Amino acid sequence: MAKKTYDLLFKLLLIGDSGVGKTCVLFRFSDDAFNTTFISTIGIDFKIKTVELQGKKIKLQIWDTAGQERFHTITTSYYRGAMGIMLVYDITNTKSFENISKWLRNIDEHANEDVERMLLGNKCDMDDKRVVPKAKGEQIAREHGIRFFETSAKANISIEKAFLTLAEDILKKTPVKEPNSENVDISGGGGVTGWKSKCCS
Amino acid sequence: MESLNESSPALAFEKDAFELTVEDVYDISYVIGRDLLKISNTGEEVSDLQFKIVRVLEMFETLVNKYNLSLEEVKMERDNLKSELDRILSESSAGQEAQTLGPDKLVVDLKDPNRPRFTMQELKEVLQERNQLKAQLLVTQEELQLYKSGMLLHGEQAMVEVDLEPLPRSEQFTETTHEIEDGPKEEKSTISKLFSFRRK
Repeated sequence: MAKKTYDLLFKLLLIGDSGVGKTCVLFRFSDDAFNTTFISTIGIDFKIKTVELQGKKIKLQIWDTAGQERFHTITTSYYRGAMGIMLVYDITNTKSFENISKWLRNIDEHANEDVERMLLGNKCDMDDKRVVPKAKGEQIAREHGIRFFETSAKANISIEKAFLTLAEDILKKTPVKEPNSENVDISGGGGVTGWKSKCCS
Repeated sequence: MESLNESSPALAFEKDAFELTVEDVYDISYVIGRDLLKISNTGEEVSDLQFKIVRVLEMFETLVNKYNLSLEEVKMERDNLKSELDRILSESSAGQEAQTLGPDKLVVDLKDPNRPRFTMQELKEVLQERNQLKAQLLVTQEELQLYKSGMLLHGEQAMVEVDLEPLPRSEQFTETTHEIEDGPKEEKSTISKLFSFRRK
């Protein structure tokens, strides 16, 4: 018999203004690397990363969206499948912070009602160019009842923590299965929500 | 008789001042000169007047000449401006059409190699296909890695499986939990094939 290399699949989505570093945040998390050359994301892309939480292997399929308005219709069609959404702004860019409410409205309009949300203030390594105080990020996150991290893809600050926290929050919501399910029942029926089991005859 | 009359130099006196040519001035000079000859034998005063009249006629000649030249220049300039105006009008008529399309419309330069020429729907489809292929590649890579290493060591080695459904559910919305349950059906073939192949 064979079983999957993971127990759960979580679909995440990165949104936010163009140039705030969504792709870099994802690249740091998935490949532990950073690239300074700015290449604007065309429409939508994704990366896969498997993490282990509470003894469960969780495959994260992370969708990276283009921040540019011209891709709006393409990117918003991916909101619905997301279980977690990371809204990223740039602490050196006031406009990207002001647009948070616009992005939150997009989530309300296009995503699942129970989607797990998180706010990231990226580029926190560039403190000399900071225009958005950390307290302002914390405040807006509190107002909307969502988690908040200041991150730096470049300096590798809080990136992994943010993704793992988001995955954990989704895991908490996921219906609980019988504890000893590592040996996945292969008798076909399965039926345990969220668990992928495979039967080979 | 008539034709003689017409060509008579004296006719120049009857012309409109603005229609005078240098030839008309010469005709006038001729007539005045001829008439002066008739009284030229009366004395020095008349001969003095003759020179004055010649001088005035010379000035007249210069003025008529200058006027006619200027008139010609103005006419040429007018014609140039006219054709220029026609050219600009025909050129801008295309632009005019575009402008009447409305404020939200965009004019595209058809000679620009980087002009936009694919629709959002086309881009969407290309991206979906790209992402699907990418997902399949990831599965294949993982399968290959397992086949190379783990599978040869452990009979119980886990098989790979990646959600090959990177595309969002479009219209009919299924809960994510169902989505996950949906998964295995399609993936069965690849996985089981590889697996049974190894077990043989």
